[in-house]
Amino acid sequence: MAPDLANPAQRRAALDPAGAERLSGWLRGYRPIAGIPDELFDPTLTPRDHWLKFLGELAEYPAGQIRSRFNLATRHIRDTGVSYRIYGEENERSWPINPVPMILEQNEWARIAAAVEQRATLMEALLKDIYGEGSLVAEGALPAAALTGSPDFIRSLRGVPPPGGRYLQLYAADLARGPDGRWWVLGDRTQAPSGAGYELENRLVVSRAYPGLYNAMNVERLAPFFDAMRKGLASAAERVDPRICLLTPGPFSETYFEQAHLARYLGFLLVEGDDLVVRDGLVYVRTIAGLKRADVLLRRVDADFVDPLELNSASHLGVPGLLEAIRGGGVSVLNMPGSGVLESKALLGFMPRLCRRLLGEDLKMPNVATWWCGQAAEQALVRSRSDLAIAPAFNLPPSGDPFARPRLMSDLTRAEKAEFLARLEDRPGDFVGQEVVRLSTTPVMRDDRLEPAPFVLRVYATATPDGFCVMPGGFCRTSDQMDVRAISMGEGARTADVWVMTDRPVERVTLMASQDEVKVRRILGHLPSRAADNLFWLGRYLERAEATLRLVRSLCTSLMDSEAALHGEGETLTKLEELLIASGALDEKALGARALDAAKPALLDLEAKGSVITLVRRSRRTAASMRERLSADFWTLLLNLENGLTDPTRRLASEADALQLVESSLQILAALSGLAQENMNRAAGWRFLDMGRRIERGVNTCRFTRTLADAESTTDDLDLLLDLVDSQITYRARYLVGLALTPVRDMVMLDAFNTRSVAFQVFALREHLAALPSLVDDGMMEPPNRILRQLSTEIETALAADIDADAIERFEDALLGLSTAVADRYFLRGANAVPTIKLVGLA
Amino acid sequence: MIYAVRHRTTYRYEAEVTFARCVLRLRPGSSATQTVLESSLSVTPEPSSSFDRIGPFGESTRTVVIETPHKALVIEAQALVDVHNPPARLDFGAPWESVRARCLETSDMGPLGPASFTYPSARTPLVGAITDYARTSFWKGRGVLNAASDLMGRIRADFTYDSKATDVSTAPAESFEARRGVCQDFAHIMICGLRGLGLPVRYVSGYLRTIPPPGRPRLAGADATHAWISLWCGEESGWIGFDPTNDIMVQDDHVVLASGRDYSDVAPIDGIILAPGKQTLKVEVDVIPKEELRLLRPAFGTR
Repeated sequence: MAPDLANPAQRRAALDPAGAERLSGWLRGYRPIAGIPDELFDPTLTPRDHWLKFLGELAEYPAGQIRSRFNLATRHIRDTGVSYRIYGEENERSWPINPVPMILEQNEWARIAAAVEQRATLMEALLKDIYGEGSLVAEGALPAAALTGSPDFIRSLRGVPPPGGRYLQLYAADLARGPDGRWWVLGDRTQAPSGAGYELENRLVVSRAYPGLYNAMNVERLAPFFDAMRKGLASAAERVDPRICLLTPGPFSETYFEQAHLARYLGFLLVEGDDLVVRDGLVYVRTIAGLKRADVLLRRVDADFVDPLELNSASHLGVPGLLEAIRGGGVSVLNMPGSGVLESKALLGFMPRLCRRLLGEDLKMPNVATWWCGQAAEQALVRSRSDLAIAPAFNLPPSGDPFARPRLMSDLTRAEKAEFLARLEDRPGDFVGQEVVRLSTTPVMRDDRLEPAPFVLRVYATATPDGFCVMPGGFCRTSDQMDVRAISMGEGARTADVWVMTDRPVERVTLMASQDEVKVRRILGHLPSRAADNLFWLGRYLERAEATLRLVRSLCTSLMDSEAALHGEGETLTKLEELLIASGALDEKALGARALDAAKPALLDLEAKGSVITLVRRSRRTAASMRERLSADFWTLLLNLENGLTDPTRRLASEADALQLVESSLQILAALSGLAQENMNRAAGWRFLDMGRRIERGVNTCRFTRTLADAESTTDDLDLLLDLVDSQITYRARYLVGLALTPVRDMVMLDAFNTRSVAFQVFALREHLAALPSLVDDGMMEPPNRILRQLSTEIETALAADIDADAIERFEDALLGLSTAVADRYFLRGANAVPTIKLVGLA
Repeated sequence: MIYAVRHRTTYRYEAEVTFARCVLRLRPGSSATQTVLESSLSVTPEPSSSFDRIGPFGESTRTVVIETPHKALVIEAQALVDVHNPPARLDFGAPWESVRARCLETSDMGPLGPASFTYPSARTPLVGAITDYARTSFWKGRGVLNAASDLMGRIRADFTYDSKATDVSTAPAESFEARRGVCQDFAHIMICGLRGLGLPVRYVSGYLRTIPPPGRPRLAGADATHAWISLWCGEESGWIGFDPTNDIMVQDDHVVLASGRDYSDVAPIDGIILAPGKQTLKVEVDVIPKEELRLLRPAFGTR
């Protein structure tokens, strides 16, 4: 067995000359680009001390171990859902993580941090003037048209003081090291900077891959930064114990994973626009216990989309009336809508003067030289120089326009150049010219070799009541191209953790609060209606998948027995197929098909709305939109279930193959329900998951019983029914005489001791409803309770000999009615919270 | 010229509406070109809250919240407006290129400043074909008023008024391609063309005096809302109105309701309702010169 290299004692024992050889191999093979600064090598091609220390430690891991440890950590962090990320998920932006972090030593970092703090302070001061007094424009320091071209200039918030007292909570600057070794600001992120959550993920992976190394290196921790951010947001609220929500555009956003991750890490409620309503100037979250006030919104929805009533009326992501609530001071939204106006490249050229004017000091870090063509002299300069880059002056939505993205003047064809100059003539204010920035390089590891790669570093600052606090680290993106021009970088190909080294021991901090700060509580706030809705349907889909799998299992086994002898000319087979057709798993045309030909589509037909794969996918999507509420194990099992079904190497050549797939899927489902029973805390969330499951199970059992247990039923039918509701063993143990209609009906419908019976589901549902909050204060029973009380009384008093198909159908209808009543009462889509419709028409 | 304006909008809903939040831009404001003598705005059922505000482009807005369950929402605006627009002199006006340059330099961020109106907007994006169409009228050094008036005339001549061809959400590129549309389309097209050349121009909503056919009585509620454009022609000339639907300079026949970058900034009613069903909409407008009002008063009705 190989020694555990994470253990320092064992590592010392394992000290080997191979390590030294590995290190010198890395350094020998490393070739920085001539004339381009590099993080690892100084200009005399000598490795820098802090890098040498890191690589020396890293080299002690045997060959191949770095990659395997790293891959294991990445997979662990991602697959267990710590980061909620799924490979290949639609729209998800994902960067592979570089096994080597980017390392900055403390003196250099101190200068970067000071510059970013200054710039954040400048941004806040700029917003205060632009949306407040307006002196910069009025006094000619900033042309009005350099602001008005931005879609993030929110005119209707001019003159509105930000409710929390500031515009920015989180600011980020994209930095690059220029050819002279100095750092430059490439751009500002003031709208809703992304990436901080990715950096958290990167840190988790890297520190897990080399725990010993990480702890030995005195790397500055990230936790204090996020703690400061949380405190900063809380300080923007009026109430002492504020409800802070992260307002997300939803699961279709390409950084949704990051938002979910941040929300969970920071302990905020993840909400979409639909979850919120404005009433009487305040913002509320819709929860199962009614409307609960939201004090602070950490905004990840672009400003133009936050209020469809006042801003972009086509937006489905916002909250109607939100701006009015902001104007009234009823909610703090951070960053304040409109902050994004500072992201315009048009403003970059003005920054040195604005900094002197507003802060009385020079910029500590220059930004890339930029000329806004809305000014005559600047336009003339840009026209005269072919060594510049050209770019849109304002952030615009992506389009096919060739000039909607940065281009190098020298890359333009003759025709493009002519077109550009004509466009510049027509609308000079739409463009800027910029100095072409060359990036420096940092080591990335590929195939156990080190190579230099161009990089851009994003550094974050968060507001606190005492000013801005800078994250010691950042989000580093590296390019796979050796083209060092910043413009060619795009979004980058990989990302690296960023380590800030100190020469003193680092305090181990987590987000754990001190004893006296924490109020003991047993329930984490009120469950938002959307989450309740999702959990309920997750329960229903999973149970429906299980029922369908049981039908398919019976289908496959029925043919394995001697069909004609046991199943009266295949009548039972027909009934099974009818049940599958009724549930939407099978097309009507498949009636009478051979068992395998029915089993295959019922399992895997992507088009069928009730096939097992469709139900599992729906479960997974439903779960994906509330990843922050599900445990890592639950998530992993769900992914395994889907992967098992979609495994491309699987062939369903026979009933036996199908049966194997059914059995393994049923086992995962059993594990999922076991997890839900044993590992989910018994708060409202679990109750909704379980209610969905129980309603679905009750309905399915009613359906199976109506089909298989009527006066004409054969013993085969009854036998099948017991299989489908998993009551075979109980029945055989209790009744030695064999199958008979009345005892079977009693067992599947009325027997409260049988955990699969309808009665058992109904009694469990009663317990759930009793434990949920009530909205009424007039002593009346809410509709779900009324329906359920009637049903349970009827079931409690019924006798098996008396319940016929009609009675069973009544039970089934009552359960479906209950599902609707639960939706109406607790969910966003219910009748009590009908969708908002936009008033239309040319009035 | 003094006009009495009545603008009544009725929404009928299939199912009961329990909550509505609306922004109303239905109250004309006073400006250099018109004086509002009287105005009223009534909403039925009675709103539970109502809040007045001046919008970002100087328009008066009222935000109302209605919490009374209702199946019909009636919004009625009335106003008495004195319009006194001085005639524009087309031979006057700076070369159009200098207007573009001055707009980029302006330090006026107020609602009457040009800076917000030179950029494309949600409903009036830059459309190369429309810019090129407009360019024909804007030769080098031509006076801005002269050039814009020429463009207006060409739109009137080249386009067919056709209320069936487009609807409220038709994009300018589409109506331009079809060479058909209504006032909103023509205004949007003219805006796209002028902005394509970097000129600051606003979309204006309002009312146009209509003259009944000779010998026929005025029909109550038969008038309509109208739309035109207003072009910033430099600090001296300010904003000048052009009505491309009728090829006329805006003068005493046009009552301004609101103006913005495009229709979406001035839509008379923007609203969100909680409702499961369908809705229908009816709009009745009367614009009546004051001298005719005496004769009509009973039909016009006052509250």
